[in-house]
Amino acid sequence: MSTFRALVGITFTAASFFVSPAHAQDVLRIGAPLPITGALAPEGAKLKQGYELWQEKVNAGGGVKAGDKTLKVELVYYDYQSTTPRAVQLAEKLVNDDKVDFLFSPFGSGAAKAVSAVAEKYGVPLLASSASSAEVFDQGYKNLFGLYTDNSTLSEPIADLVKAKIPTLKRVAILARNDLYPLSLGNEFEKSAKKRGFEVVYYEKYPIGTLDHSSALTQLRAAKPDWVIVTGYINDLILVRKQAAELKVGGQVYTLINGPAYQEWIDAVGPLAENVTTASWFHPVLNYKSEDVFGSTKDFVAQFKAKYGAEPDFTQASGSAVGVILQLAVERAGSKDRNAVREQLAKGGFKTFFAPVSFGPTGIANSYIPPVFQIQQGKVQVVFPPDVATSEFRTK
Amino acid sequence: MMRWIWLSIALVAAVAGLLSFGDNYLLRLATTVAMYVTLAVAWNIVGGFTGYPSFATAAFFGLGAYASGIMLVNGVPLGVAWIGAGVVSTVFAAALGLAILHLRGHYFAIGSLVVADVLREVTNTWVSFTGGGMGLNVPLVGGAAAAQARFFLISMAILAVAATLTAIWLSRSRLGVALQCIEQNEDAAQVIGVDTRRAKVAAFAISSLFIGIAGAIYASWTTYIDPSDVYDVSLSVKPIIMALLGGVGSLAGPVIGAFVFLGLEELIWRNSLEFHAGILGLLVVALVLFLPGGLRDLKGRSVLTWVRDKMKGRTL
Amino acid sequence: MLWLQVLVNGLALGGLYACIAAGFSLVWGVLNIINILHGSLIVLGGYLAFFAHQYLGLNPFLFAPFAGALMFVLGFAIQRAMINPVMMQPVLMTLVLTFGLNLFLDNLMLAGFKADYRKINLQPPLGVLEFGDIILSVDRVYAAAVGLALVGALWLLLRFTQLGRAIVAVRMDREAAALMGIDIRFTYAVAFGLGTMMAGSAGALLAAIFPISPVSSGGYLGKAFVICVLGGLGSIPGVVLGGFALGVIEAFGALALGPENAITISFLLLIALLIVRPTGLLGRRGFN
Repeated sequence: MSTFRALVGITFTAASFFVSPAHAQDVLRIGAPLPITGALAPEGAKLKQGYELWQEKVNAGGGVKAGDKTLKVELVYYDYQSTTPRAVQLAEKLVNDDKVDFLFSPFGSGAAKAVSAVAEKYGVPLLASSASSAEVFDQGYKNLFGLYTDNSTLSEPIADLVKAKIPTLKRVAILARNDLYPLSLGNEFEKSAKKRGFEVVYYEKYPIGTLDHSSALTQLRAAKPDWVIVTGYINDLILVRKQAAELKVGGQVYTLINGPAYQEWIDAVGPLAENVTTASWFHPVLNYKSEDVFGSTKDFVAQFKAKYGAEPDFTQASGSAVGVILQLAVERAGSKDRNAVREQLAKGGFKTFFAPVSFGPTGIANSYIPPVFQIQQGKVQVVFPPDVATSEFRTK
Repeated sequence: MMRWIWLSIALVAAVAGLLSFGDNYLLRLATTVAMYVTLAVAWNIVGGFTGYPSFATAAFFGLGAYASGIMLVNGVPLGVAWIGAGVVSTVFAAALGLAILHLRGHYFAIGSLVVADVLREVTNTWVSFTGGGMGLNVPLVGGAAAAQARFFLISMAILAVAATLTAIWLSRSRLGVALQCIEQNEDAAQVIGVDTRRAKVAAFAISSLFIGIAGAIYASWTTYIDPSDVYDVSLSVKPIIMALLGGVGSLAGPVIGAFVFLGLEELIWRNSLEFHAGILGLLVVALVLFLPGGLRDLKGRSVLTWVRDKMKGRTL
Repeated sequence: MLWLQVLVNGLALGGLYACIAAGFSLVWGVLNIINILHGSLIVLGGYLAFFAHQYLGLNPFLFAPFAGALMFVLGFAIQRAMINPVMMQPVLMTLVLTFGLNLFLDNLMLAGFKADYRKINLQPPLGVLEFGDIILSVDRVYAAAVGLALVGALWLLLRFTQLGRAIVAVRMDREAAALMGIDIRFTYAVAFGLGTMMAGSAGALLAAIFPISPVSSGGYLGKAFVICVLGGLGSIPGVVLGGFALGVIEAFGALALGPENAITISFLLLIALLIVRPTGLLGRRGFN
């Protein structure tokens, strides 16, 4: 190996690091690391759809109004390949090299937490579209703003509904995916159940990538639960629901999160979807009027459908929602100065198509309760909270 | 010898330059390069010198990361935790080596590959100790952003240098000779009296020491680790590709290979948002098909003659 | 009768597992190549079945052999073009080569088909069979049946056809086979093609039951590894035994130690076997 070749190799390497994009003025530049490849690729694609719909809409109207200037929205994407350390590296790059004004978080809780440290270091407001675990927000950071409310807001309302409807209910079984968010959610359900005097007769975790839940479900069945709670992602929950039916796992109430809120899930399980409850931070069936660029939930849903051919799920909606919130904050601040915008974000009071959003002292949203949904006659109905409910919670 | 001196001067100058002028992103990138140099050089000890295709790099890396992370969470000082992680990794490697180094070829490769998976699943389920699927938050090192970035670059760079020096020393030592004998013909080596078992296990252990410490530094550097990240199979495969690129079994090979590979990866990744991983895959394929001996295969011939030679030489 | 239900669950999955691993075992045993690409090939077969169902209304169970046939052509081409040149290289090279091919194919599928999970929804749904207390899902029974049938067909091919005998001969002694007039290159390509065919068929069967996405490829590969080592390389009966064994072990492991440990158990078993008995339950002494 000649020295010359070695030096060429090193120089080449070094040179590649200096290739940087050009900059422009009067632009609102937002850094958005995304998992385009890797295990989270489906979610990354959804978030991107949400971002782009918002960007298109805003720029079509001229841009974001910041005082007397109008700023075009520019989104800078990088693929962090579903690995958290890459996301952190990219956040640094976006702030230092690409000189973005603000950041959108990577998908999920773990990566959001890791990136929030970078955001805090540089004082760049970071909007987290999909982080809901309290652990993400426990660092006392001032630059982190999370759209989703805490995981306990998913378990508490359902537990209340169940207790009210079936006072004799005693036995609860929980099956959670061994992954940050589903496991954290499983823990919340355990807490909510115990708080109301239910007996948790089964609580197990299944590994990521499980192809067959029959053993777990067979054991679960043996525990004779009244209320079955399963957490995971859509493909896990399709499998679980089908196998639970095949294995004749009993139970009066089935609560599955995250899956039933998606049309794909309902199509995949067919009649088994009946009476299944779920909770989610957003669903097209909601009906908010908003002061953002979309005007109302209905309008947002219609525009999403027009662009992408299907109704938005909560991940796609959250992509647009963080854009909308940032826009409102910039408009209220009258500039894209980070301190001014941060102040506006902290003040809250954003009426968006997604939900009315205000942030608590740790940065997590605390201004709305994620609706509880139930599939009735193959359609998604909102059964809680009462002011947006479209139907009553019911059991078999 | 002169070669090495020039190389070292160039590298020291580069690092010094980065430390003075580089922004945080560049520093991060350089730290990544240093980390992979360590991994590639360490792998080369087992895969190149000894000829045993180890895929256990990810296992030792992840083990080191978690060992250090858990120690730090429990209040152990930084330096102690890092070295401690290296020790844990070495002990584990010695035990593992005794168990699987009698396997050859494919079986050894599979065994070493699967160890990472086992460790990952164990880490996942042992929630109370490791945080399981929810990940582990490693205490921050403290200090300003730029100072932190420099600190980690220096740490990784020192580790890389230590690994390289160890490899150089090893190649000239008795152990190194023993390993070479094993690589060429293990049975013959045994016949002439080489204690192959001890030599192999020693190589495995030395290699894993550096990999484990690299994992520990990595954990402190990124401050959040979870099992799928630190036991990822690409941590096993990339060092091998780097060594292949630079020339397996040589001393400078892994180092050069690490630089070139990461440079290429960065270049591709910047230019293709959607398909960079796929292009990387193609590059790897091209590497194996056309440059099995590493970059030295290019040897100054014109590209066309070289391609033509390759085509002609393609028989079974 | 909990344990009986669990046993039945394990066996049902085992039949499908055998099909997943058969191709992998063949390629490893005959060509001495660990085909990292195998998982992605399974996923590709799944996509073929999905699109055949969506656009042509074809039943995936019936389509599986055809998916296999299409994949055979692909496998044959890949082997001739890219793998033949490195046939005689050390383990390292071939592993890294198939790793690179896998990376390429996975991301090609990701870019082409997008990462969302696709699901074949059979109308009307197939339902279950009941034997007293024991419940068996019909789609799994079909998948296991077709899977085992294909594996059986492969075995017959290897045993009783000219081509099959050639493959076995090449495996036993390459030089001698060449001296006997067997076209080594062609035989290797066919063997790899057969491996790919089995992967594609397995994928089609899997698609009938599970959602498909490029991100699942690694999981299938992992299972194939364990089954091959469990049952022993170079032996079709070994693959079947290994498949059933893994299915049952996973099922009972989940029962005894909790579902989260199911995957760990299979890997621990793999390591234990490698240490103690690398040839597996039925294998002959493999290559070194």
